[in-house]
Parts: sequence; C-alpha cells; structure tokens
Amino acid sequence: MTPNELGRRPLLALSLITLLLVAPHFARLDLRISLAFIAIILLRLTTLYLPRLHPGRWLLLGITLAGAALIFTLYPLLMGLPAKVALLALMLGLKLMECRRRRDLYVVVFLGYFTLSTHFLFDQGMLLVAYVCVLVIGLSGLLIEASRATSRPGWPLHSLRFAAGLTAQALPIMLVLFFLFPRIEGPLWNLGVDNSIGKTGLSDSITLGSISQLIRSRAVAFRVDFDQTIPPPRLRYWRGPVLWHSDGRRWSRGRLMEPGPVTYRSDADPVGYQVTLEPSPNDWLYALDLPETLPVGATLSADYQISAKNVRNRRYRYVASSRLAYHTGALSERQRRLGLQLPDTITPRMRALVAGWRAGTGGDAQLVSRALQFFRSEPFYYTLNPPLLGTNPVDQFLFDSRRGFCEHYATSFTLLMRLAGIPARVVTGYQGGQRNPLGNYLIVRQSDAHAWSEVWLAESGWTRIDPTAAVAPERIERSFEFDLDENADPGVPVIFASADSDLLRGMMQQFRLGLDAANASWHRWILGYSRQQQQSLLQLLGFGSLSEFKLALAMVLATAALLPLLLLLLRRRDRIRPDPVQGDYVKFCHRLARRGLVRQPHEGPRDFARRVIRQRPDLQRQVSAIVNLYIALRYGPSDDPQQRRRLHQLVRGFRA
Amino acid sequence: MKQLLDQVVMEAGKIIVGKEHTLRLALTCLLANGHLLIEDLPGVGKTTLAHTLARLLGLQYQRIQFTSDLLPADIIGVSVYHRGEESFQFHPGPVFTQLLLADEINRATPKAQSALLEAMEERQVTIDGSTRSLPQPFFVIATQNPAHQIGTFPLPESQLDRFLMRLHIGYPDARAERVLLNGEDRRSLLEQLDPCLDLEQLRALQQQVARVHVSDALLDYIQALLKFSRNSPRFNHGLSPRAGLALINSARAWALQAGHPQVLPEDVQTVLSATVAHRLHSGSDTGVREGAGLAQFLLESVPLP
Repeated sequence: MTPNELGRRPLLALSLITLLLVAPHFARLDLRISLAFIAIILLRLTTLYLPRLHPGRWLLLGITLAGAALIFTLYPLLMGLPAKVALLALMLGLKLMECRRRRDLYVVVFLGYFTLSTHFLFDQGMLLVAYVCVLVIGLSGLLIEASRATSRPGWPLHSLRFAAGLTAQALPIMLVLFFLFPRIEGPLWNLGVDNSIGKTGLSDSITLGSISQLIRSRAVAFRVDFDQTIPPPRLRYWRGPVLWHSDGRRWSRGRLMEPGPVTYRSDADPVGYQVTLEPSPNDWLYALDLPETLPVGATLSADYQISAKNVRNRRYRYVASSRLAYHTGALSERQRRLGLQLPDTITPRMRALVAGWRAGTGGDAQLVSRALQFFRSEPFYYTLNPPLLGTNPVDQFLFDSRRGFCEHYATSFTLLMRLAGIPARVVTGYQGGQRNPLGNYLIVRQSDAHAWSEVWLAESGWTRIDPTAAVAPERIERSFEFDLDENADPGVPVIFASADSDLLRGMMQQFRLGLDAANASWHRWILGYSRQQQQSLLQLLGFGSLSEFKLALAMVLATAALLPLLLLLLRRRDRIRPDPVQGDYVKFCHRLARRGLVRQPHEGPRDFARRVIRQRPDLQRQVSAIVNLYIALRYGPSDDPQQRRRLHQLVRGFRA
Repeated sequence: MKQLLDQVVMEAGKIIVGKEHTLRLALTCLLANGHLLIEDLPGVGKTTLAHTLARLLGLQYQRIQFTSDLLPADIIGVSVYHRGEESFQFHPGPVFTQLLLADEINRATPKAQSALLEAMEERQVTIDGSTRSLPQPFFVIATQNPAHQIGTFPLPESQLDRFLMRLHIGYPDARAERVLLNGEDRRSLLEQLDPCLDLEQLRALQQQVARVHVSDALLDYIQALLKFSRNSPRFNHGLSPRAGLALINSARAWALQAGHPQVLPEDVQTVLSATVAHRLHSGSDTGVREGAGLAQFLLESVPLP
C-alpha cells in the first residue's frame, strides 16, 4: 500500500459522514433518489469489507449513467433546486465509490463542504445551523486525520479537537463578516424553491369549513412582542381581511374598499408592538383592533385592513400600534350599501326570526343583544367537526344542525343583522394567542384563526360582536387547548380541557415554548438581520451610516484587527502548561523561600535539597521525601496519579 | 554497574591523584561513546590519564606524538611495495586500535590533524581506494596545549565539534601534589594496573547509557539552554543540534555512573561545561578562550522550566 492509498478507516468515516451530509436533503428529494443514494453508500460500506464486490470501471459507469437517467426522468430539464441537489447527492455518492487515494478523499471532503452549504437554500433554522457546524467539524477532522503522515490507532479525537479549534478560531472573523458585510436587500434565497413556506394562512374569503381546516394546524402564524404589557385575551383580536359580500355560501371582500384618509376617535392609550409574520401567501398584515400607526410602506383601507407590498412568502417583521377602544364615527353611504347586501338564500324562517326580535326590542343595540341571547339560549354547540350542510347552509345551521364554530356563528350572525337592517360585516383574523413566558412574547398560531362580526351602531360606530363568545366563551377567554381529533364524529362538541392538568404534558409544553423562544430570537436577530438593523448597529458603535464601500473597508480592517488577537491566543496556547507536579514543587519552593531558603532559578531539585538540608538539618526527612517524589514524577519514566496525589499532600502538609 | 564504575574511578585515582571529578567526566565521555579532548599545560598528567583509562578499560592502546612534520600516513598507515610478491601491502598505522592517544594534537599541521579527525568521525579510513574499518570500540583521547603556547596549530571549530568533551586537568592541590612527589613513579604504577572491565562489559554499559530515561521536562530544559545560547548576544553563535545531542548523551552517561535512574537537570549541569565550552565563543571575540566562563554564564542564565 503506498502512503497515498486510503485505508479502511478513513473510507468508513468518509462514507458515514457523506450519508450524514446528504441526510437533511432526503425530505426534499424524491424518495427514489434518496433510496439510490443510500444504496450507493451501503454498497460502499459493503465493499470495504468484501473488496471483491467492488464494481468495476464499466459497471460503475453504468450505475452513473443510470443515476443520471433517473434524475432526468424525475426532474426534466433539471428544473428547480431539488433537481440540482439530487444530482449533487448522487454524484457525491458515486465519487465515493472511486475513492482510493488521499487526493480523492480531498475531493469528496470539499464537495461535502459545498453540499453542506446547499442546505441553507432550503432552511436556515437554528437546528440546521447546529447540525451543519457539527458536520463541518467532522469534515475538517477527517481532512486533518487524512493529512497525517502516520495514522494513530483509536478514535481520532485529537483531529476532531483540532478541527473544532480551527472552527472556533474562525468564529470571530465569521462574526465580523456577518455583521459588517453589506446586506443584500430582498430575499436572498428567493430562488423559487421555498415550497415549504406560505402554505397555510387565512385567505381573503371564507366558505364554511375553511377555517376549521386551518384551525387544525399548530403552525405559527406570527409572533408579537409588546412594548408594554400584553392585553388580556378578550381584547386580542388580530384583524385580517374584512368580508363584505356574501353569496349565501361564500363570503368575500367584494369590491375592495378604496384607501383614503381613515379616522376614528379614541380615548384609549395606544398599544405598541412588533409583529414577526411567518411566510404566508398573502399581502396583508395583522394588527390589533384598531390599528393606528402602520408599518412603513403599508396602507390602511377604509375598513381598517392593512395591506403591504413585498410581504408575500417571506418572514416579515413590522412595527405597529393600535387603540383597543374606539369610535369610528359616521357611516358612509357606500359602506351602508355594502353592509346591508343580502344573498338570495334568505328563507322565510330567517325573516320571521329577525322580525320577531325587531318587534320585541327598541334600538339596534338591544336587537344585537337579543340575537346574542338567541345563540346563548338555544342549543348551539361549538365543534370543529360540523355536520355537512346542504344547499342553504345558513338556514340549516340556524334552525337544524346548530353545530359549528366561529365562521358559522360569525357569518350567520352577520346575515341576521343585515336582515334586521343593521349594517354588518365579517372580519377574519386571529384571536388570542399564547404568551410565551420565556421571552415574554405572544405566539399566534394558525389554530387561533378566527372570524367575528362587526355591526354599525349609531352610538358606537363599527362595533365588534363575537357570537362565538356567546356560545363558547372559553374559546375567547383563553387560548384553547384541545385534541384536534381528526376522527371525531361530526358534531361532537369540543371539550375545553385544562391545559396544565398533566405534568408530562406541562413539561412538553414548557419545552415547546422554550424551543419557540430560541427560534424566535434566532429569526429576529440572525436571519432577520437586515440593512436597517446593520445601520442601527453601526450607529450604536458610533460609525453612523456607512456606504457600502466603507462598510467593506471596515470589514477588512476589523478582520485585520482580529488577527493579532488570534496570534496572541495562539501564543498563549503554546506556552508550557503548568503541570500539577511542577505546581506543587513551586509551592514547596515558595514555602522554603519564606524561610530564606531561596532556590536559584537554575538550581536543580537535588542540589537545592542538599543545600536546604545542609542549612536546616531538621527538615531532612520531609524535604528528601518531597524532592525524591518530585524527581521521580517530573524526570522519571512513570507517571502515577497516586504518587502525584501523595506529593500534593506532602507539599500541603509541609511547614518550614 | 555503578560499583564497577566506582571501582574504575578508584583504581584510576591511585594514579591520577586528587582528580576524581575529571576522571569521572573522562569516563562519562567514553561511556557516551565520544572522543575526548584534554587541554592543559604540559606535565599535568594528560598522557597519564589517557593511558590509565586505556589500561583500566582493557582496551588496545596506541599513542601518536603529533609534531609539525607528522604526515597523514604516519597516522593511518601506508602501502609498501613488496618486491617478492610484486604487490603493494598495507601497513596499518597506529590509528588501528581501540584507544588512540593523540598527544599534542595542535602541534601538527592541519593536514595531519584532519586525517585523524576524519577517522574519528567516520570510524573508518580510506586508503588507496579501499575502505578499512577501525576496531570497535574506537576512542580518541587527544591532548593539546593551550593555544597561546608557541608553535601550535589551533583546531578549527568544525573539528573541535567532533570531540564530545573537552576537559582541563589543572594543577593538583597541595595534598595530592605531595602524594605525587612522594610516591612511586607513575609509569611503573601503570604497569601494575589490572583492567577492571572487559569489552563485553563496556559494550553493555554503553547500551545502558542509551536506556537512561530522559523526561519531557528535561528535554524542555535542554531546549531552553540551546535556545538561550542562540538568542543571547553574549555568544557569537549558538549551540548546534549536535551539541544538544552531545549534551543529552553525556548527561545520560553521567546519570548512569552517578547511579540516577533518570537524567536530572543536575546531570546536565555537571557535564555542561565539559560538553559545550569548546563549542561556544564570546560574542565580542577577543580570541581568548573563555569557554568555561561562557558555559557557567549559560548555566546560570537559564532557569529550570
């Protein structure tokens, strides 16, 4: 075997690390590609022990061509990133097959570094970064181990430690580059691959059942940091699309309200907060009822809906403030007309119901409470599995099935109000949210999606009415935790369980919250580190605003300034580490020095002991015991920990 | 083993009176398989010392008196034409021995000096195209007069470096001198001396020297010494790696004959002057040999790590 030929051990390590390198891609690749890759790795591992199974050159060429053919059939024209990743993964595995010499190992390791960077095209989460860091250390350790002239037996811990040290040394420079590199505006990774994001979220219309699908998702919709205290759950209505138009089954925004000067009166103090919106396919933002100051670049429509450009499919962070009590003032003619629109599915029983209420009450406000009374007293149930409704769902829901959830209640209530001549509309959004005590912010999940109703009353303007609260106040008063049981029978009422009843569940919950808090900070400070944040950081450091050229210059200078620091660190490490034996001996010499018996710096232990004993014959026994032990430990061939401890005890007990 | 060596030193002490330390160093040098240079005034017992060691160690012994007209052939031998056999026949010179005493080596010309020094380094000689090995073991004990004496060719540094140690004998103290003056003739005493060691024992001792433990801490110390000699302005040039090896080997041999199971810094310090003094030169070269002072300065300047 020539020195450049690879042994079994590095090849085994290389194969395993290659498997780990590609592993996170498995979820994104076609199953067949993943299986082919694993098969190649397994073949490689088998041939390590049974070399005669190693495919010949021509067979290998055949396998390569077959792999390429597979990729081209699965991903025609190699469109999209997964195709390229598939190609990279398969070829990496095949390169492993022809890995014989040290040079081949270098090629695979460098390909491995490249493969690692491809993970960030799909995911930039904290866990992935940690995983990549571990693998970088592993790869570097492999590289170091393979570059050794002679390999040592046993685990190559030394190489790994060395690699970890190298990675740690790169850290300061990495930080400088991260904080000072001119930030590229816009989504850097927007390469048409983010198929994992923006799948869920509210849409700008609802049909009965659309929210109940959403509500089953535990995915996070957005997170909110409040400037002051978090408002109570019954005030946490996150306003989304406002729906005006109903065709009996489907509610939609209808003809969008024109943006214009929007005003309302309020005596309440403004509540400021920052929202970090998870990627969604929509172009509107959420704010507490009713928004006052808007994020930069956003507009407010006449029905208090915030829309913004360039917020689709990216994590978006914005600052807003709201006032939680308000009076919207007079109603425009256009809004009155839209707010009274009725579909052609109104049945006589509905008209009769409303007429009955109207007859028994005076003003609009009384009528609203009468309607809520209706929902409260009649046997309505809150369920996520409502029975299927036929051609006229509102009528059926109100008089027959009486099982539904927020969207059923909100839409039917709104229709009834319109029947009574009160302008009304459906508002969708999120309600509530869970406070994360670790980090003190609010997590709003898709399961918090909600729909409620707004009616226009002369005395208070547009007024939020939540009929769901009349049926299931628990839904509003607290973030609800219940088993989202897919298989529950239609119409089974939801039991609102106490969330912290179980210890284990409480711990799980705690763990989830902790993870979420860490992830939120990660997104906020690392991934969300934008040009603005960079500028404010620079301002904080006293640089003011820097042009990109100056920024690059600062980057270079800061890196250059780091180098002497690293050198200093290296020098420190090179210094002879104080050996415990030597430490004890130095202490012993110290104690003698206090009695005037100073050891010359160049004086050997035996000479010194002889001199000490000559001057202080009374110390002979102790001194010779200590010095003999010291000589044996420091200059002798054996290194016995027990003897070391004995020396330590002797020195501790030594009094001159 | 230590007793054996102590016995050698004791026996030698009967002839070289009052110079036990020098004797021990000389013995150390031979145990470390190195050549020895003795530099001192004429008449202090250089030749006697060499002769005594040869007798006690049971080695073949030859002596060359170096003079200014000595030729290389006088040292390594010569091929002579034999009429009867019509061929050249090699007559080995005095160098073909186990212990060679090169007396007053600095009185010979550089040409003769280098013939010997080559044999010392290679432990073989090449004459008329054929290489002849020297006997095993092969030691050279050279003596030289101090450089300031008339009619000397001082050895250049490169050749001094071939000697593991350089020793001074010095005048005996009053009591020892009295014994000398009073006692028998040294030559006749030498004749009565019996060898204390045979070749096998000597070889075993040399192997044991190589096995004396040298710890990392001690290597640190030796490296510190080398480093200091290279960085300090007091020295014209630093000690070579060969000097470092010489230091370790001598210290090992000293530790063996002092009965230490491992090399101690004191062992290094004991042999330091003998081993490095002839390799050091003052930075302000005045031409005066001040090696011993420099070695002492080196010793006192480098703290134990």
